Amino acid sequence: MSLNLRYEDVDKIFDKGSKHAVHALKKVSFTIEPGELFCLLGPSGCGKTTLLRSTAGLETISGGKIFYGDRDVTTIPPFRRNIGMVFQSFALYPHMNVFENVAYGLRVRKTPDVEVRKKVTEIMELVGLGDVLKRNPSPSALSGGQQQRVAIARALVYDPDVLLLDEPLANLDAKLRRYMRAEIRRIQKATNITTIFVTHDQEEAMAVGDRLAVLRDGIVEQIGTSDELYNRPGNPFVANFIGKMNFFNCVVQSIEGDDIGVILPNGTKLPLLRENYRSDLDIQEGMELLVAARPEHLSVSKASAGPALDGEVTIIQHLGHIVRYEVRVPMASSERTLEIDMDGMVPGIFEHDTVKVVFDKQKAALYAKDVNR
Amino acid sequence: MKKSQLQMHETSRVKRFLQKDFTPYLVFAIPLGFLAIFLFWPLATTLLRAFMKTGAKFSLSGMGVENFKKFLTSALYQKSLRNSFVLSFSVVFFSILIGVPMGYIVARIKVPAKNLLLSLGILPVIMPSFVGAFSWIILMGRQGVVRHFLNILVAPFGITIPTIYGMFGMIFTMTLIYYPFVFLLSYSSFSSANPLLEEAAMLMGAGKWRIFWTVTFPLILPSLGAAALLVFIRSIGSFGIPAIIGGEQYVLPTLIYFRVNGFWDLNGAAAIAVVNVVITGAVLIIQKYIISRRQYETISASRSSQKLYTHWAARFFGSLYCIVILIVSLAPQITIVVMSFFEKWQGLLPEGFTWANYLRIPQVSNTELRNSLYLASVATLLTAILGSIIAYITERRRPKGAAILDLAIMAPFVLPGTVVSVALLSAFSGNAIIPLGGTFTIIIISYMIRRTPYVYRSVVASLTQLDPTLEESSTIAGANWLYTFRRVSLPLILPGIISGSILTFSTLLQELSTTILLYGAKTRTVPIQIYSAVADGKMGEASALSVILLVVVFIIVYTMNRLQGNSMANSFKMG
Repeated sequence: MSLNLRYEDVDKIFDKGSKHAVHALKKVSFTIEPGELFCLLGPSGCGKTTLLRSTAGLETISGGKIFYGDRDVTTIPPFRRNIGMVFQSFALYPHMNVFENVAYGLRVRKTPDVEVRKKVTEIMELVGLGDVLKRNPSPSALSGGQQQRVAIARALVYDPDVLLLDEPLANLDAKLRRYMRAEIRRIQKATNITTIFVTHDQEEAMAVGDRLAVLRDGIVEQIGTSDELYNRPGNPFVANFIGKMNFFNCVVQSIEGDDIGVILPNGTKLPLLRENYRSDLDIQEGMELLVAARPEHLSVSKASAGPALDGEVTIIQHLGHIVRYEVRVPMASSERTLEIDMDGMVPGIFEHDTVKVVFDKQKAALYAKDVNR
Repeated sequence: MKKSQLQMHETSRVKRFLQKDFTPYLVFAIPLGFLAIFLFWPLATTLLRAFMKTGAKFSLSGMGVENFKKFLTSALYQKSLRNSFVLSFSVVFFSILIGVPMGYIVARIKVPAKNLLLSLGILPVIMPSFVGAFSWIILMGRQGVVRHFLNILVAPFGITIPTIYGMFGMIFTMTLIYYPFVFLLSYSSFSSANPLLEEAAMLMGAGKWRIFWTVTFPLILPSLGAAALLVFIRSIGSFGIPAIIGGEQYVLPTLIYFRVNGFWDLNGAAAIAVVNVVITGAVLIIQKYIISRRQYETISASRSSQKLYTHWAARFFGSLYCIVILIVSLAPQITIVVMSFFEKWQGLLPEGFTWANYLRIPQVSNTELRNSLYLASVATLLTAILGSIIAYITERRRPKGAAILDLAIMAPFVLPGTVVSVALLSAFSGNAIIPLGGTFTIIIISYMIRRTPYVYRSVVASLTQLDPTLEESSTIAGANWLYTFRRVSLPLILPGIISGSILTFSTLLQELSTTILLYGAKTRTVPIQIYSAVADGKMGEASALSVILLVVVFIIVYTMNRLQGNSMANSFKMG
């Protein structure tokens, strides 16, 4: 029976009252559904690990409440919370063999020997280490991927209410990481334990999670499925954190029904769709906004009939399935060099050429300027 | 509405309080109490006593600087102070002079039997220092063998070699006993320095000398500073060597002994102790200040192994240098072993082979052997517990004031043994609240206070290597503090506890400077027995007892070295 996990106005201030006080979590409130694989995503220092450690009880929160199902666990110390946790370093005990490592939580619970044996065998089969258990070596004799599986088995063996994964893949190499993230999803779905997965890698988060929360500076910026976050990011930060987003300054010129006309600093006029305006602020003529376009929603060409922006190609990178053009446009239009992905090499365009940047008017989005950040 | 919220807040605080696991706090309270009673309180008493007149009872109005004035008026005091300075700084200077080249040779030249050189190099430090002192008397005393021999050689030139007694002898003996700190620490930094740094300098066109002085040497400076400090602390606190071969030349520790033993003037002794500590403290602070500005993080991604000099001349002269130093520094140990089988040794050769020196031990020194074993074992056990728990608190809990606790624990490491004794006597002798004078307890306490740093350091080192997530993951799995400590923390820091304890035990067996002021008729130890045998001129008996001590200590230390590699020198290091 899986539980949901609820945060109510969770606040965490490190070194409260001192000069170096750090406000790591600011009024965080959301709910994770029973059996969900939920990703906490954000740049380093955004508070995701703090939120995870607070969920575990390893950090005492400064305000707010945390519920497992209906149970308020805010004041309950970690060893009475019945949780499983996988650490970035795996934290396997070097002085115990694999069996004893996995059995640890059962031993703590004074489970009878017969049942310990049965449960450890079952869970090791689940994580795909049945044969390793037969040899029962010391954990240091295992490969990184195997250690990872042992760590997961150890956290799951005593049927925790909640499973917490703290950057579990950070210590593995790139290829293994991609394989293990699928494995983690398989194992989580097989056990159906409510799970939080912390990572700073957006690709990993999108691949693994049922839903994702993007954190920045202790605030939850947006919660949603991978699809929602990629296709309808709620603000410029999320847009640029989940995948790449190119931004352009613009001013609203006309609002007519479902169409919004904007003008770029160089005078280029773009007709965009009202449904692609993604901020809460009421839109008005004369407002300064940001046009946002994913690399695949822009294209480069030698000449263009429609509205376009002039820019200079700085670097062309062939990435296999796509070709990425980095294009510099006047600072007034966009402060950053643009990234534009094309399906293949565009004939006749070389580095240092001047090109036309063309917008996909159906896909380009509009955001209010982020005044606070 | 507001009130109910406040009440809810209160109840949640009470709930939080009751949910806590209190075991750790109970466990932590005991060692902290011990430190308060047996370290802070005695040190405070000593400081107070230093300002009280000889024999005076405590009263605020009776406070004065009478005792300190003696450093201005008494010739003996002035001489002792000057001697302590000259002695300590000379020993540091000569130790560096001898130790650094030796470290460089063993680290960078392809010398034969390198591991043997390293093992023999450490011997002088782990052996009782007063044994070195009295065997130099056999070699270089009034009728010393070597002196006798050298005198025949230089007689035609009308010179006679001076005896070992006095300042020269003290510097000579101490240098030979303490240079291994410099040797071993500079060896380890010479051999662990990243060779790429030197190769980079070479590629940029620097010559060998320039590389040594601009790259190699600056990088070993921090380690050299640590070694020099260690030598300084040892020399200024040494009691055995000045007591045995100082002759007329008093130093601060022997002066303290003189005040206590000759006059039972604890207040006067306290004042000398305070001066002694202030000097040590000042040097410590200066060293820290210099070192902290020269601590380098080595920035390196990859490292290759050290390239050794293989030229025959380098190998030959390098080995020769090391062998000469080793022979001279190990001469005392060899002498003692020989001496223990003879009646006397006053000419070129020892006379009268005998087993009597050994056969007499069970009758004469039975109690002392038992006492030494008993005191060292009990003190080691208690020290292991105390040191481990305090290490755990400062390293894992990081309470406010952890730095102060760390300082408090390490303080006895720099306090001369005689000072610790004076502090304990000040607080617990005579009609004190807890009278302990002349008991086994006071000796055990003094041992614990003095050796806790060994276990503490060693355990802190294991703890810093122990990933905190190992403990956290145990907590997460549902284990309370005690279960986690028993099943996870303890097994993993056990090697640290054991090596600290072995070091403690082997040094306690040879403890002299603290015991000398605390022992009574019933609590005499082997080192005390050796010391008084030397004082009575019974060299044979002293040698036989020393050999037994040497063998026991050697076996213990050798076993430990086998168990955990050549890291002995680092266990003595501090900071």
